[in-house]
Amino acid sequence: MSFQVIKAILLQEFYITKHSLEVIVDLFYFSVVNIVVFGFVSLYLTGSNNPQAAHFILVGMILWEIIRVTQYSISLGSLWNIWSRNLSNMFVAPLSFMEYMIAEIIAGAVKAILIVALVGAISHFVFKFDILQLGIINLLLFFINLTIFSWSIGIIILGLIFRYGTRIQALAWGIIFIFQPLTAVFFPVRILPDFMQKIAYALPPTFIFEAARANVSNTATNWNYILISFGENIFYFILALFFFILMFNKSKETGQFARNEG
Amino acid sequence: MNKVLEVKNLTKKYDHFTAVDNISFFVNEGEAVGFLGPNGAGKTTTIQILLGITSPTAGTIKFFGKDFNKHKKECLQRINFASAFNTLQGRITVWENLLVFAHLYKVKSPKTKIMEFINYFEGESLLKQRYWDLSAGQKTKINLIKALINDPEIILMDEPTASLDPDVVDKTLYFIEELKKSRKITLLYTSHNMDEITRVCDKIIFLDHGKIVAEDTPLNLTKQIKTSALKLTFDGKKEEMEKYLKNQKLKYEFSNKYTVKIAIEEKLIPSVIFGISKTALWITDIEVQKPTLEDFFLHIARKGENVISSN
Repeated sequence: MSFQVIKAILLQEFYITKHSLEVIVDLFYFSVVNIVVFGFVSLYLTGSNNPQAAHFILVGMILWEIIRVTQYSISLGSLWNIWSRNLSNMFVAPLSFMEYMIAEIIAGAVKAILIVALVGAISHFVFKFDILQLGIINLLLFFINLTIFSWSIGIIILGLIFRYGTRIQALAWGIIFIFQPLTAVFFPVRILPDFMQKIAYALPPTFIFEAARANVSNTATNWNYILISFGENIFYFILALFFFILMFNKSKETGQFARNEG
Repeated sequence: MNKVLEVKNLTKKYDHFTAVDNISFFVNEGEAVGFLGPNGAGKTTTIQILLGITSPTAGTIKFFGKDFNKHKKECLQRINFASAFNTLQGRITVWENLLVFAHLYKVKSPKTKIMEFINYFEGESLLKQRYWDLSAGQKTKINLIKALINDPEIILMDEPTASLDPDVVDKTLYFIEELKKSRKITLLYTSHNMDEITRVCDKIIFLDHGKIVAEDTPLNLTKQIKTSALKLTFDGKKEEMEKYLKNQKLKYEFSNKYTVKIAIEEKLIPSVIFGISKTALWITDIEVQKPTLEDFFLHIARKGENVISSN
């Protein structure tokens, strides 16, 4: 493992973000628009029969950005290179899969922290909801769990792109949204039909969103939910790594990896 | 002489198609080896396998005496690659791209190293430009700098001059020749351009349908072609010339009404000219074109058929 190699990927991520309007729009613009829209919905709900729902929506929205941004960063990181026909150049250098992944994970985490700080600030100053009221420790635990989940999804999508090429690239920014209803981002799990509740509890973010909603009125850490989420996350992350390695090797076997750029 | 690369029984199969069929070859230190062959011969697949981005079905690869499969990272640290088909990251500047690759190859003092090559290739004005905004020739120059950034002992070049105009090709080849001389770099070079291969390479490996069909110096390969092209310009009737050539059972092709190109063994040229002089035809110009690598290429590609090159 070489720090200089990891630094190379991080540098490239930084340069791409700096020069690409698309990345800035995808990361910052959508996050800001989302928080503004959901902020106003929450203001509207504050005056309704269920004012707590307003906070649930804002909490859900802010925490959801951690998942969206991290997964986007991991999956798109390679696509920028595929689109530039540069991925082969990167992988014929002495770059290991682990170094590449670590760099992408760090880049994703940095972007997620920046975005959460931004939407958290908007929420605080414009909509008078402070995300810090959930508790710093709780937020940290939520962040860790949600990012691990995003790594798993990002790595799986990356594996699929390596294996099947850019024809499935839309998954990189589209598939994550299926987890919005499935992990009950904006509403309690009990709202979901029974069969969907079973799916929801098989997904680690569900426990985080449930715990976060509870923390709106009570900052006591729900260790039970945190640990279940963490356990599931570890399971999915290991599964995702195996899946990626399988896809990566298959891609090299079928020649798809080299063809991705042709 | 040290072997930089040694390939044994390399095979790549895709379902029912064999792209690389049990090939073995080696490349000595400081040698420039050309990979030549028609489309689909297996050149690019072989290069991709040698770089580790496509996995082989069978066979072994050794770089610097080390098994590539077991010492991949170590080998890749001493190799680099340039191709017209792979470009650098288009959204970022040339300087940023080169800095990324310098770090990827763990170059000590990356900035000094980049400037060393930028000065050598006179590319200072390109540093702040986005890679996408460069011309094809400028991109090739930067690709070459990227391929040199780690002071590689061998560079694999997959058609590095494809789709460049002749002037840029000439300049690129000049740089490659200079690098060969000054840095004694080993090259594995694929191209469709015979002149380019002849100019750059010391040895040629000719691939066809995934198999090595010939391996020799460019000169020796051309010697395998027995027929030269005899180009005659004449005064007289085309039909009469055609009648004579048909009688002699010669293969020919008219460029226009008064110019014909004949595929012929060199030793038979005097007798043919003598024969034509006895007819009503008047030869006004004679040109003998010796076989080139292109003739050898066409000879292989057209399965041994004697062809008249377009030179």
